[in-house]
Amino acid sequence: MKWPLVRRPVPQSQVPLYNRFYLYASSASQVDPTLVWGTEIDADALQAFLHERNRNGRIVLTAAHALIRATALALEQFPEINARLVGRRIYAFRDVNIRMAFFHRRNSEMDLLLIENAHLKSLERIGLEIWQRLLQAGRGEGGRDRDLARFRRIPTFWFRRIVRLYGFLDRHFRLPTLGRLDGTRAGCMMVNDLSFSGAPPMRMYKPTRFPDKSDVFNLTLGPMEPKVVARSDQFVSVNVMPLFLRADHRLVDAQQVGRFLGVVRDLLSNPDKLAGGYFESADIDRIVEATRKQK
Amino acid sequence: MTINRKKLEDNLMHFVRSRSPRHAAASPRMDLLETGLLDSLLLVDLIFHIEESYGVRFDSDQVNPSNFRTVEDIVAVVLGQLPMPQAQAD
Repeated sequence: MKWPLVRRPVPQSQVPLYNRFYLYASSASQVDPTLVWGTEIDADALQAFLHERNRNGRIVLTAAHALIRATALALEQFPEINARLVGRRIYAFRDVNIRMAFFHRRNSEMDLLLIENAHLKSLERIGLEIWQRLLQAGRGEGGRDRDLARFRRIPTFWFRRIVRLYGFLDRHFRLPTLGRLDGTRAGCMMVNDLSFSGAPPMRMYKPTRFPDKSDVFNLTLGPMEPKVVARSDQFVSVNVMPLFLRADHRLVDAQQVGRFLGVVRDLLSNPDKLAGGYFESADIDRIVEATRKQK
Repeated sequence: MTINRKKLEDNLMHFVRSRSPRHAAASPRMDLLETGLLDSLLLVDLIFHIEESYGVRFDSDQVNPSNFRTVEDIVAVVLGQLPMPQAQAD
């Protein structure tokens, strides 16, 4: 059992007035606190970086791995974003964990994985953990896969009630994570890599929200496409990738969203900044332990 | 099961080329990583295609660029993991 959220909520006095306006709005007002900001990254720089790392590296790296590390490094800079709502209170997450959607090959459906303490991990470490989970899921060998299979066998009547009860508890109480199924709740940011080959150009993307309120933020990277831009008084063709951030005005305002997205964009467009981080689990555990003691 | 290098290469080439019109021009020596043809979805599908067709299992630490750069590289890894009498050269 783990407690992904800190014990005490953010004091109301520290929540900006305008955010509280959304936070306390009655459901009858049908207020929509969703904010979406779209931008583009320099895909040529990111691709060149990934090609270079894949020339000499020990793990195949993709844009998804870069997106996770960039998001985690940005979250470290903006701790106020690493939080979620429980009822009408805001709780910070203890760790910088990133969740990612992936295609579960064996089940032919989407599933989630969680990269814990992603800001401490090198790209190779993140890549290794993701490949491990993708292969495990494809074979149906992981503990989570067995749990998913058991969950799937629950009759619809009970399934609906369990989901509703769990959703109610999760929305209103600071719950621990108990197992492999709900462990992915332990991160505020969900990343989606939709830059797969054959995907159509992405002009707009508004990801859904989960019924629980744990995934307050969603960051989606779209497919690469050429674009003509002006550089030094000349028109040149460059490759860009769209990047969309869905946020919640009860936690952040548009200025914070823009600043956060600007940092992620800068990291992905200047991917040399993604270097660093640890590969060995022992190093990561040591730093996590030391940070917890400090807190 | 006897695996012929050429047949294995043809099988993997067919798998890659049938992925999308963009993949149709792939060749055995084409760098799949540099050209961006090998995304994570294709890589995972390719791994399981090999596993299901030839019984060769990849661990996550084998998902390294030198094993998956070209179809020729993948063929070499698959043949290298098969018991000796089964792997036949051209």
